[in-house]
Parts: sequence; structure tokens; C-alpha cells
Amino acid sequence: MTVEPQVANSFAPTAGPAIELVNAARWYGNVVAVNDISFALGPGVTGLLGPNGAGKTTLLHMLAGFLAPSAGTVHVLGRSPNSDPSVYRQIGLVPERESVYSFLNGYEYVRFNARLQGMPNADSAARSAIERVGLGDAADRPIGTYSKGMRQRVKVAGALVHDPQVLLLDEPFNGMDPRQRLAMMDLLGQMASAGRTILFSSHILEEVERVGTDILVMVAGRLAASGDFRAIRALMTDRPHSITIHSSDDRKLATTLMADPSVFAVELGQNALSVRTAHLSAFRQMIAETSRRADVRLMEVVPADESLESVFDYLVRR
Amino acid sequence: MTGTSMSRSVSVFPEIVRVTMRQMLGRRRTLLLLLLAALPPLLALIFRAAGQIEVGTFTLRVFDVVSMTIVLPLAAVLFGTGAFGAEQDDGTILYLLAKPVRRWVIVLAKAFAAATLTVAMTVASVVLAGVIVLLPAGGNGASATEAYVGAMVVGSLCYVALFLALSLFTRRALVIGIGYTLVWEGALSSLLPGIANLSIRQYALGVADGIFQLHSVPSRLPPTTAVILAVILVAVAFVISTWRLMRFELSGGSD
Repeated sequence: MTVEPQVANSFAPTAGPAIELVNAARWYGNVVAVNDISFALGPGVTGLLGPNGAGKTTLLHMLAGFLAPSAGTVHVLGRSPNSDPSVYRQIGLVPERESVYSFLNGYEYVRFNARLQGMPNADSAARSAIERVGLGDAADRPIGTYSKGMRQRVKVAGALVHDPQVLLLDEPFNGMDPRQRLAMMDLLGQMASAGRTILFSSHILEEVERVGTDILVMVAGRLAASGDFRAIRALMTDRPHSITIHSSDDRKLATTLMADPSVFAVELGQNALSVRTAHLSAFRQMIAETSRRADVRLMEVVPADESLESVFDYLVRR
Repeated sequence: MTGTSMSRSVSVFPEIVRVTMRQMLGRRRTLLLLLLAALPPLLALIFRAAGQIEVGTFTLRVFDVVSMTIVLPLAAVLFGTGAFGAEQDDGTILYLLAKPVRRWVIVLAKAFAAATLTVAMTVASVVLAGVIVLLPAGGNGASATEAYVGAMVVGSLCYVALFLALSLFTRRALVIGIGYTLVWEGALSSLLPGIANLSIRQYALGVADGIFQLHSVPSRLPPTTAVILAVILVAVAFVISTWRLMRFELSGGSD
């Protein structure tokens, strides 16, 4: 299956994409870390997925301007971050490395970021950003005394203090407890709703699934897929869809479905019927009519493998 | 540069200086440097207690051997390489570079912070030693102290500029810097007159000579030449550092 690079999020048609890579590649000697990647992103949250070593961090560093592309072009808000530092006025960056200036307290660190952004109201902006990530009570403590999750949050506060158009986050939920993760996910969702373009890498699929549906999947330096993961799943025609059905008479419905050409396999369980089909949309149309003819009442029809995990597993293993 | 960007640069400069100074002063090695800088005043106390307050002897044995050869280069190499070094090692340099700040402003602020600390430490050390042992010696004592204050200022600026630039090219800047000061500056530049033009120690001594003729420690460069070479070195190091920072790339990784 080939999933062509595409604009993963919807964005105002009058504006160019916030992030745009065209045939971008990066290699270190003989090692190709990022290989001929093209995609464009507009406002919204996009999860950058891939197994360890897939090139996620390299890609984020290219977007952040800390690695020049060996080939192709990388543009953020129409400019090259590698050669035009002024674009950082609209970029917020949360790197993966845990280190933050440990000798500063949380407030000082965020204010430092605000001042370097040239904000006239750096003090109040810093207080506001600290509150947004829920670190108000610890703002005056040295960062050296923070837990891993707190350091992650203060990094996020420093990255969003100037309300950037584009937010790049490398494994932002690392070290956070479940409650902090949920709060951070909500925050990213709010920023996306406000028209910000957010790209975050993660290897935890539940995190990505919870924040949004748009993904970029990298495998061995290449872009394996981009877009809404449910749409990607629908394109995976060489892998049958599994559907779980609860009905008034599973045995009777199973017999009827076996005669349909769109159905690969039918498995009768104790309380449910499991069906595999290559053509999900055709099956959806067929099942209603077939069950009505068989005089079987459908109680529930649920796709069993439309999760992000299923999509990711397929893309990585194929 | 527009007025707005100039005012932004002016406002971020002290911020970077402040954070850099706090970063460097918080390190354990700074405490060791303070102990080292206390050596000339301590020796001055010993000289004074022993009644040896002859200007020539003290400048040769303490200012030249200890202050110029050990305290100044070591302070400059630690502060000069440390201005960017620690941030490069732990990755926090990203927080600085991911900002709309011109790279020359960052270099200037870092160099200013490192040079200020180096000058403060070395000049305080020389002045204190001078007050203890040279000022009581009379007129020449005050002039010799002034001469070495000038040498410390010029030497600090040159060494810091050189080592800061070096730290942007290699992670081993500290080791290379110490090796350079000990072998090149400490030994070769004193033994081989031909390399005086490439010795920061000689630039500093040349300037000191311009302030007061140091008969005990003759410089190999006339004061004017020393000043010109020092200015060229600082300017070239600044340009190279800015160029390097503009092309800063993170070291490799496949993820």
C-alpha cells in the first residue's frame, strides 16, 4: 500500500502550510536518518509516530532548524528555520532531552524564554504560562529540585510563553503522571483549537490517539503514512478488517454472511460474531440489508481493529 | 539593523549575560579558581612577612610565574570554554538558539560574561597582591601593579575570545585550551622569540610594557603591535564564533 504525502490537517486555504517538507533528507555519513520525506501540516495536532531509531527526533530537529537538510527543503511558516532565526518568534520547541537550566527557578526559566522572545510583558507572560502547565505552586523552586514530569512541564511553559504559531514537541509526556498527561493533552487540544500547528512525537500510541487523529508514521527514516489514522486504515486494503457483531441470532446471521463475497471469514463466538472483510464500506451497506432479509436484529456492529495501534502495527511490520 | 531589532538585541543581551554568569558561578570549578586566584595575595603576604618587597623580584616570581602563567590562562580557559560548553554538553543550548536572537548578540553576551568574570578574578588577584606587597615599596610598585592589571585585562579578553571560539568547534576545548596555555604560552613563547606574534601572553606583556617598563619581565612585542594583534585576535575570534553559531548543528543521532 502506498499512502501519498498529503496535508494531514485542514487549514485555511488562503494561507500556506505552517510546516512543509519537500523531499527532505538528512544523512550522517553513510547513515540515512531521514529519507526523502514530503508532507505539509496546517493548524491542529499531529502525532509523529515511529519505532525507536525511525528518525522522529532528527525530523523534529530539522524542523527546529538545528539540522540542515542534506537534500530537499524544510519550511516553517514559509521560512527556513536553519538559516532564518527570526522564524523562532513563531516556533515553540520542547526538546526530548531532560536538561533545563537547573540553577534557575521555574519562573525565571520561563521569563528568560519570554525575554529572549522580546516580549514587553515578559513577567506576566511567564506567570501565565507557568499557571497554564499547572506549576504555579512550584514556580519559585529551583528547577534542579523538580521531578521529571515537572521539568517536562516547565519546558512546555517556556515553549508556549510567546504563544507561537507552531509548537514542536519531542516526547512531551515523558515522565508525567497520568493526571499531568491528561492536563497536557487538554492544553495541546486547546492550542490546536485556537489555530496553532502542533507536532509532537511519541512512541505511546494511546497518547497520540487521545490528543488527535492525525498522524505521521516514520519507519526506518521514511514517511510510511500521513493523515487521519482511520482514513489510513481504510486504505489498508490488503489487510482484512475485523468486525464484531452482536445480534439476536448470531448463528443464523453467520450462515447468511458466509454466502456474501465480501466476507473472508466468519467466526462464531460465545456472545458475538466475528467477521473479516476486505471491503469495509461495501460490508457496511450489505450487513443491514442481509440481516433484515434473514430476520435477525443487529444489536451492535463494531470495527475491531480500527485503533491506532492496529494501523501502526501494520505500517511498521509490513 | 532596524531600530526595533536593535532595541530587542539590547534587551536580550543583559539577560543572556546574567544567566551565563549564574551558570558559570554555580560550578564547583569556579570555587577552585577562586582558591587559585587567592594564591598571589597569599604569596604577597609571605613576601611581606619575609621582608622581600623588591618590585622586580615580586613581579617576576609572582605576577609573571603565577598570575600570568597559571591564574590568567586557567581562569580564561575555564570561563571561556564554559560559556557555551556546558550548554552544548547537556543540550540546553537549544533553549538559547531556538530564539529570534541574532547569533552575534549571543556570542557577544557569552564572551562578555566570560571576560567579565575572568577580568574580575585576575585583576582582583593582582590588585590585592599589589596592595599587600608592592604599594608599600613605593612608586614603582604602584606602576608595576597597574601594568599587570593592564596585562590581565588584555590577556583575559584575548584568551576568552580564543577559548570561546574553540569551544564551538570541539567538545575537548578545555583539554586543548589547558594544553595550549601550558605548552605554547607557558613554555614555547618564552623560549622561542619567533612565535611572539602568536602568543597572547606576549600581547598582554606588550600592553603591560606600554603602561610601565617591566625590566624584570621584558616583553617581546612593542605595545602598539601588541594592541593591534590583540584587537585582530579578538575580532577574528568573534567573527569565527558567530559564523560557527550560525551554522550550529546538533550532533548526530538516528532517532
